[in-house]
Amino acid sequence: MGQALVSGVVVGGIFGLLAVGIVLVYKGARVINFAQAEIGTFCLYVAYFVVDGDDGLGLPWIVGALAALVIGGLVSFAFERLVVRRMFGAERLSVAVATIGLLLLLFSLELKFFGSAPRFLAKPIDGLGPKVFGIFVSPTQLLALVAALAIGFGLTAFLQRTDFGLGVLAAAEDANAARLVGVPLARVSAFSWTVAGALSVIAAVLVEPTIGIFFPGVMTLLFVPALAAALVGGLSSIAGAFVGGLVIGVVDQVVRYLFLGSSIAAPEIIASFLVILVVLLIRPQGLLARRAA
Amino acid sequence: MTYRPTRRQVTALAVVVAAIVLPPLLSRLIPGVFTDARASMLGIGVTYAAMALSLNLLMGYAGQISLGHGALLATGAYTSGILTGRYGWSYMFGVMVAMVMGAAIAFIVGLPALRLRGIYLAITTLGFAAVMDAAILKIPYLSRGSAGVELPRPVANTFIFTENADYLALILVITTVVWLLDANVVRTKLGRAFFGIREDERVAQSFGVDVARYKMIAFMLSGALAGLAGAMHGHLLLFVESRTFAFPLFSLTIVAFVVIGGLGSRVGVVVAAASFGVVPQLLRAVQGWDLILGSALLIFAMARHPGGVAGAIAEAREKKEIRAARRQGEEDDASTQPLPDLAALPLPISDTPTATSGPLLEVRDIHVTFGGLKAVDGADLVVPEGKIIGLIGPNGAGKTTLFNTISGFVTPDAGVLKLRGNDIGALAPHQRAQAGLGRTFQLVGLAKRLSVHQNLLLAQHARANYGLISSLAYLPRAGRTEADLEARATEALEAIGFAEFADRPIDQLSGGQQRIVEIACALMNAPDLLMLDEPSAGMAPGVIESLALRLRQLRDELGRTILIIEHHIPLVMDVCDEVWVMASGRTLAHGSPQEVIARTDVIEAYLGAPTLAGVGGVPRSAAAGLGRPAARGMGG
Repeated sequence: MGQALVSGVVVGGIFGLLAVGIVLVYKGARVINFAQAEIGTFCLYVAYFVVDGDDGLGLPWIVGALAALVIGGLVSFAFERLVVRRMFGAERLSVAVATIGLLLLLFSLELKFFGSAPRFLAKPIDGLGPKVFGIFVSPTQLLALVAALAIGFGLTAFLQRTDFGLGVLAAAEDANAARLVGVPLARVSAFSWTVAGALSVIAAVLVEPTIGIFFPGVMTLLFVPALAAALVGGLSSIAGAFVGGLVIGVVDQVVRYLFLGSSIAAPEIIASFLVILVVLLIRPQGLLARRAA
Repeated sequence: MTYRPTRRQVTALAVVVAAIVLPPLLSRLIPGVFTDARASMLGIGVTYAAMALSLNLLMGYAGQISLGHGALLATGAYTSGILTGRYGWSYMFGVMVAMVMGAAIAFIVGLPALRLRGIYLAITTLGFAAVMDAAILKIPYLSRGSAGVELPRPVANTFIFTENADYLALILVITTVVWLLDANVVRTKLGRAFFGIREDERVAQSFGVDVARYKMIAFMLSGALAGLAGAMHGHLLLFVESRTFAFPLFSLTIVAFVVIGGLGSRVGVVVAAASFGVVPQLLRAVQGWDLILGSALLIFAMARHPGGVAGAIAEAREKKEIRAARRQGEEDDASTQPLPDLAALPLPISDTPTATSGPLLEVRDIHVTFGGLKAVDGADLVVPEGKIIGLIGPNGAGKTTLFNTISGFVTPDAGVLKLRGNDIGALAPHQRAQAGLGRTFQLVGLAKRLSVHQNLLLAQHARANYGLISSLAYLPRAGRTEADLEARATEALEAIGFAEFADRPIDQLSGGQQRIVEIACALMNAPDLLMLDEPSAGMAPGVIESLALRLRQLRDELGRTILIIEHHIPLVMDVCDEVWVMASGRTLAHGSPQEVIARTDVIEAYLGAPTLAGVGGVPRSAAAGLGRPAARGMGG
């Protein structure tokens, strides 16, 4: 149980990063980005290509991780520039379908160049790690937790403390009003999508050592829990999405632990679904959001 | 009388015959060209088309986004597979039970739609599909480990549909039937109710559509078709497992079919889906690039034509029309044309209201709170039969909230609502519409993207008294009723002088024209009480004068009772028999227009604290000015 709680917090941080990406894009463009998680998978292959000695260049882990981060940001940035921006006045559903196109494109590229066989990435840090409440926390888990928390807090602080960040938040509330007071909407939109892409990569690189392997579409398996996390925050709050991630992560791991050895497959997915239903039916504004007047 | 088939029936028959004859014939005549592999490829195109039709009915017609249709397809495939493969049922019964199961699961998936809309509903469907994929399809009874489910080909007497070309003929026929059913949905009240829900649920309810019921019908019909499509697909592949309808890619791909084909366009989605089935297989030669090209094309197509194939075609046609109109120098802004003779509208004769002793509508002590805000705080209202009653008051007084409470969109915390002495407080909005409450909305209550003609048909929803089966099969009963409704709609178009705009979407009319159509639609149901929410908004001054004339005509010649929210005081003074004044959620005063407008407390409510000039009545001009508060059109 203790192990489940600890790993729940770690996995929750990952869900949180994905959820923050979903919320950033949703706030700005009113679109659910279905490719949000898959950008991470795609970039795991980028990292794999850079790091792996047999199939790729054999460079250090950190080089691969940085390359993945840059490519992830670029993919998302390019998508915003070339597709989302052109669809400014279009039905939001059409934009969502374009992101489905991106998801399928990334998936098919992974499949074409690396096949469906699972791969694994060398771990950034080896060793047993420290003991917390009598449980060993692996260094990669620790790294994941620290990085997720740092990014969560860092991003929130950036959005609330800088002019540009406030512009991003203002544009999410009312794009027209924000433009009238001089917020550069084009740059705000580019920023949101780029950061969302980068967050997906960070989540993927951090969670990969915990899963151990990856294959085409692997991160999209985390999309539904990440969406549940975003909903817990009401699809509108960055901090809410991150906390939602932690909640969903703990629920996920605890449910897995409780149903260990039971005949029910994937109880954690059922739990995520139930959280989605309960949140939407009872508090659509999010569990953590203040009730609107 | 000899039977003369319609052109539509002849075409349908020709298509069915071609579907039966061509694939088997071609595969035997030119086996080198029409190979087994190619027949299978075409078969996939056909099943994809059936899947797209199923989702289009739900998303395109009824506007309910489903991101988890793969779960329903899997339901159909597994059901039919288990029944035919493991228990030896016939194909026909296997597929029929697959449809029932598809409808049943879709019912469950659709339940949240009673509370949720748009993206939130979409997310629940995605979540359900995740559960289906990760948990339900992994149940050993269904999955048999990773062996999946085998689906044998159908058998007719001694003939087995082993050849792909023969099976292709079968599924082509079934899909053609689905197409015809779909066409029947669109041309009956069923489709119009779906469109109404898609466009605006409140408007649909005000026309008497039971939104909850039709939403569930949309889900279940779509689910039944998905069950059928999934089963046909499975029997084509001979085998399904959890990766056949891989979550979430498969579900999302069908969404792409429907959006790229153009939401609601039957032709568009079938073309899009069939090409997605066939083209990648043609690209097999370029191993692995098929999906890459396909998805890149999808992104490109969306960025270029967000409305999909159908949207692009419509856009091109529109441009052509606009160019043609410019050439003629046509000026079609009719916002200043006087209001047509509403009394000439074809009201059903039997519906002339019968006099009763008490008041028509009685509203007692209504309280409504939103959050902590008391929107209506003890309002009374009595509407006697055959009168025009005005409801006035400053912005934010609670007039529109009271209207919404009467028509059932807002549930009051307390209070009594009686129509002809019967308590209607427990009735749903569509039931109140059917009980004789007709209304218009501040922001024009019409299905904006439907044509004038379609709106006039939708408005008669409650009069189309035929059932679901009649709709789907277009039985004579439905045909006869539709012909009647058509005739009335055409008559109404003539009466309001909109014959030339019949096929124009509402959002391409001027504000004043929209009002006219809206009032005409409200009258199509021959309501006992017609409630108008700021009818003069958006009308030119000259038109407002004709509005007064028409309202009196409705009262005097047709015996209608009218309750009207109006800011334009001269109009109120002109037509109302009695006026009720609301302020801060309460009914402040009522009486004849002259009496009410002279009361100091009424003036206070409009203008704030009493001033010297306000004591003892106001000049006519000031009273007229009351009608123009700053934030027009938003309050009430």
